[in-house]
Amino acid sequence: MMVEIFGLKFKNPVFLASGVFGFGLKYPMVTASVGAFFTKGITLIPKNGNPPPRIYETHCGLINSVGLENPGVKEFTKSILPKIKKLNNRVFVNVAGFTFDEYPRIVAEIGERVTGFEINISCPNVKEGGVLFGQNPKSAKKIVKLVRRETKLPIIVKLTANFCDPLVIAEVCIEAGADGISLINTIYGMAFDPINKRPLIIGGLSGPAIKPFALYCVYRLRDLKAPIIGMGGVCSARDVYDFLLAGARAVGVGSIVLRDPYAPLKIIKELKEYYE
Amino acid sequence: MEHIVKIQTLRWLGKDIFAIEFFLPKINPSPGQFFQVRTGDSYDPFLNRPISIAAYNRGKCLLVIKIRGRGTRLLSEKRPGEELIIYGPFGKGIEKIEDRKAIIIAGGIGVAPLFFLAQHLYKYGIDFTFLYGTKRKEELVLKGNIIRISREAIFVTEMGSRKRATVVSALREINLSDYRIGYACGPKEMLKELKSLSLPFPVYAFCEDFLGCGCGLCLGCAIRYYGKYRRICEDGPVFELKGIEFEE
Repeated sequence: MMVEIFGLKFKNPVFLASGVFGFGLKYPMVTASVGAFFTKGITLIPKNGNPPPRIYETHCGLINSVGLENPGVKEFTKSILPKIKKLNNRVFVNVAGFTFDEYPRIVAEIGERVTGFEINISCPNVKEGGVLFGQNPKSAKKIVKLVRRETKLPIIVKLTANFCDPLVIAEVCIEAGADGISLINTIYGMAFDPINKRPLIIGGLSGPAIKPFALYCVYRLRDLKAPIIGMGGVCSARDVYDFLLAGARAVGVGSIVLRDPYAPLKIIKELKEYYE
Repeated sequence: MEHIVKIQTLRWLGKDIFAIEFFLPKINPSPGQFFQVRTGDSYDPFLNRPISIAAYNRGKCLLVIKIRGRGTRLLSEKRPGEELIIYGPFGKGIEKIEDRKAIIIAGGIGVAPLFFLAQHLYKYGIDFTFLYGTKRKEELVLKGNIIRISREAIFVTEMGSRKRATVVSALREINLSDYRIGYACGPKEMLKELKSLSLPFPVYAFCEDFLGCGCGLCLGCAIRYYGKYRRICEDGPVFELKGIEFEE
């Protein structure tokens, strides 16, 4: 089951995707079991997140608009990161900037304490930065270059597939010095309040509903000269296997943990049986 | 914790309201705590349903559920003997029962966690009034049980019966100076109105909402409390009503 990516060994190809599992401290056994743990998006200054409603269930998935609620990089590095590392030594910090220069500043603050960074240029739930950077090859390139100057650790760029071709952005990012690509982040979605006749939520759709699309996005990048971490609606070992077939080197598990926080353990166990 | 329990009984209590009973020993839940209940094997609905504990006695657990959508309808179609996957109990319930004369204010299916609380108050010999209102008479459930354990029980309905009232309008006819603490659960509109009454004693609100994970992972169930976002599932679901800032 072991995989080698960026010259590093990971005990299995099942990673915990950024966001839904918080900082992984509530289910230590689960956090410890995965090949790598990707933290919730970390911003330079603390963020309160968006007003409710933040969650809306759809057919086979959900829309979220949490809005990057997090304690900020200083507090995270001081009091949360050491606890995550005790559970799993393979930690990638999801770096979420609202301006270009925030990305390298967050990375600099964390320094060498982690396995690597996942540069989030795809969050659909913030007014500035986020997905807007990820839709534009020039911004994506600029951010990767700025971060590359700041760290020698592996840089993974988390891409969006919202209104842009992830292949174009991925190529630009790798050329600018990124080591790998993770995709997809949630895709745009919304729901209406039928009584007030106005939008109830606009956010990111995730869950099994988006798996076929995510799978194709990964497949589209199959010839990229860099490792891909595939994700989007993974619920079972079969889903993991599909993403590996599509060209991913490892696979992120996300929304399913809302339904079953122990899902990663079950997926890893099931995958082991596939391998045997 | 994940539990696979076997449904012992499933019975209808009122219009669109049913009760599921199962055996789950050694959890010792407190009033306000809830389970995340899997509706079925299908990913549609995708999320579990947060259901308050309505009674817990020697390992026997009672959930009282109202059909609100597809998920709760699927739960109502389960049969005794079937397995149910549940997670929890989650949330911070009322862990310390205060020895003060209490008024319980239940609106609609908000009766479920408050019925559990009432059993605790009864057990500790605390004097309390149970005020319970629904839209229709057919939605009033657990009436006999409530009457049996409450010193005073007041039932009101908004439609159909001779005494039309909401719990808030009924409150105005009660001498509130008798009470030292209140516990409320019901629709957001009810809690908002209750807050605006500025009752002369602390009121603890049991908040309901759509939850993502139910266990503090997703940060999806935010509620503004004394100026800061808190999670209903983990910091609550019980909050002091005074501190809740309802979103417009």
